[in-house]
Amino acid sequence: MRLLLVEDNVSLADELTASLQRLGYAVDWLADGRDAVYQGASEPYDLIVLDLGLPGIPGLEVLRQWRAGGLVTPVLILTARGSWADRIEGLKAGADDYLSKPFHPEELQLRIQSLLRRARGLANQPTLEAAGLHLDEGRQCVSRSGEDVQLTAAEFRLLRYFMLHPQQILSKSHLAEHLYNGETERDSNVLEVHVNHLRRKLGRSVIETHRGQGYRFGGALQ
Amino acid sequence: MRSIQSRLSLGLVGTLVVVGLALAQVSLWLFEVGLHRYLESGLRKESENLLMALVQGPNGMELDQRRISAAYNRQFSGYYFRIDFDSQTWRSRSLWDTELPKPATAGLHDGLELGPAGQQLLVLRADYRRQGQAISISVAQDYTPMRDGFRRMQQIGLGLGLLALVLVLVLQRLIVTRSLRPLERSREQIAQLQQGKRTQLDSEVPGELEPLVAQINHLLAHTEDSLRRSRNALGNLGHALKTPLAVLLSLASSERLKDAPELAAQLREQLEQIQQRLSRELNRARLAGDALPGAHFDCDVELPGLLSTLGMIHGDGLLIRHDVPDGLSLPWDREDLLELLGNLLDNACKWADGEVCLGIRQTLESYLLWVDDDGPGIPEDARLGVLERGARLDEQVAGHGLGLGIVRDIVEAWRGRMDLQASPLGGLRVHIELPRRAGR
Repeated sequence: MRLLLVEDNVSLADELTASLQRLGYAVDWLADGRDAVYQGASEPYDLIVLDLGLPGIPGLEVLRQWRAGGLVTPVLILTARGSWADRIEGLKAGADDYLSKPFHPEELQLRIQSLLRRARGLANQPTLEAAGLHLDEGRQCVSRSGEDVQLTAAEFRLLRYFMLHPQQILSKSHLAEHLYNGETERDSNVLEVHVNHLRRKLGRSVIETHRGQGYRFGGALQ
Repeated sequence: MRSIQSRLSLGLVGTLVVVGLALAQVSLWLFEVGLHRYLESGLRKESENLLMALVQGPNGMELDQRRISAAYNRQFSGYYFRIDFDSQTWRSRSLWDTELPKPATAGLHDGLELGPAGQQLLVLRADYRRQGQAISISVAQDYTPMRDGFRRMQQIGLGLGLLALVLVLVLQRLIVTRSLRPLERSREQIAQLQQGKRTQLDSEVPGELEPLVAQINHLLAHTEDSLRRSRNALGNLGHALKTPLAVLLSLASSERLKDAPELAAQLREQLEQIQQRLSRELNRARLAGDALPGAHFDCDVELPGLLSTLGMIHGDGLLIRHDVPDGLSLPWDREDLLELLGNLLDNACKWADGEVCLGIRQTLESYLLWVDDDGPGIPEDARLGVLERGARLDEQVAGHGLGLGIVRDIVEAWRGRMDLQASPLGGLRVHIELPRRAGR
């Protein structure tokens, strides 16, 4: 899952980036509204966390420009202006959720998690379910018929992406774009290694390879 | 205080009545005096005529009948005389068998009543000397027709005077209404201002009203401006404090403090207190309260946005209904009411299983607002405790909002009442009664 964080306060952005990365999200950080307008629309983000008080272009205007340009990525607004009048204005501009500062980091994580599931049309349950697997995003482990399987951080990130997109053929480059932020070097061999690790832990049939096209999760169970 | 219109009418009626009566009375008196004088000269001429008619006949003094008016011979004709000599008295035939008393002094006398017809007589006595003997001639004239005429004139005058008074009053009312129309217009505009139908008074008014209207407009603009500025300043203050607070909260729960869990817990607790206090006080300070007379909240315009916002925050599984009369407008500041309803509904949405309903009704003295949910509700004995200061209704649900605390602040600022009831949907009903503001 790749997120864009647009926040002009450096310390907050550092903290959020660090905590979101611990949760297995690939995070790109921008501090200026003008950059955000461009990058938000050009990179394939799964979710955008947008602060409203931005230098350059105000956050609401950034959001309006994105929505006017046809961007459908879920956007979570983060702002110190927490009145309902502001909130309504934000959601009218096209936001999907609204969190007012100061907030508990856990709350932001829960909101992001539920927004990502909502965007995929999934119910907001404690665990993510697909193909007989239950993924606990808080503990970063997966259970299969009641039996817990431990995952590394990289495996967790990959599995979560698969589980949010079951039955879809996902190319390696698509996966790389959504699992790594703009600064990480993308090596498709690393992806193959992680896919193999997942197959070893969860069974070969969980992830199919479609030659020349990519991977498909949960296809064998249908 | 009495209206200008009635004061003017009262003053005018008083003046007109006093002046009119005095004028009428004086002119009647003058007229009567003139009439008396005229009649007196006629009577004097008559008495002189009678004196001329006294001729020396063969038996001494006698009256030459040819030289006196025939009216003196007709019974009760209204013209009478008596001539007193030293030894005898002559009376005109018109007196018939009644006695015309001789006035005590020479000159004009009135008020004498005579005969069966009750004639009011005006009598003039003149004293002469002729051929060595004193002659006193009293001539009388019936004054009744003149007096009756006079009375009639008085009545007609009174009637005309009353008519004129009514006419003047009607005209005065028209004129006053006409000239007070700008005042009335300003009054209407102030009423509109209070209903939230306008934000400024029309400055096209007569010179007398201009300073007043200009001052009101200035005050309105000033209040609105200072409210906006203070809200902005509060927003900035909030922003300045909340972002660092968010950093601190995030730091307190970061990995770096994993080795000092007690420290982290304490930090979090203190930060949470600061955050709650800050939010609460900032929200309270933002309340517009009664500052703006024209503030109003148009339900038809504002509610759809609010409800769809809530729907978006709480997901599609929740049905948020509203039961609000069409075209209802509440006389409070938009942002304040959004804050009130937003927090109420947000709280209900957090607890509800599948349905939340907002109701608003208008009564004669107040507005009733209620929010129902089909959640677990609160047992009756615990309800009071929840409303007590500091209790948090939403402790167990994600969102560290101050929901009902802020709602209570707003309700208190508007002198309303808030209580918790059982909802027909099965959960909790938060019921709020807001009294109408004076002049609304």
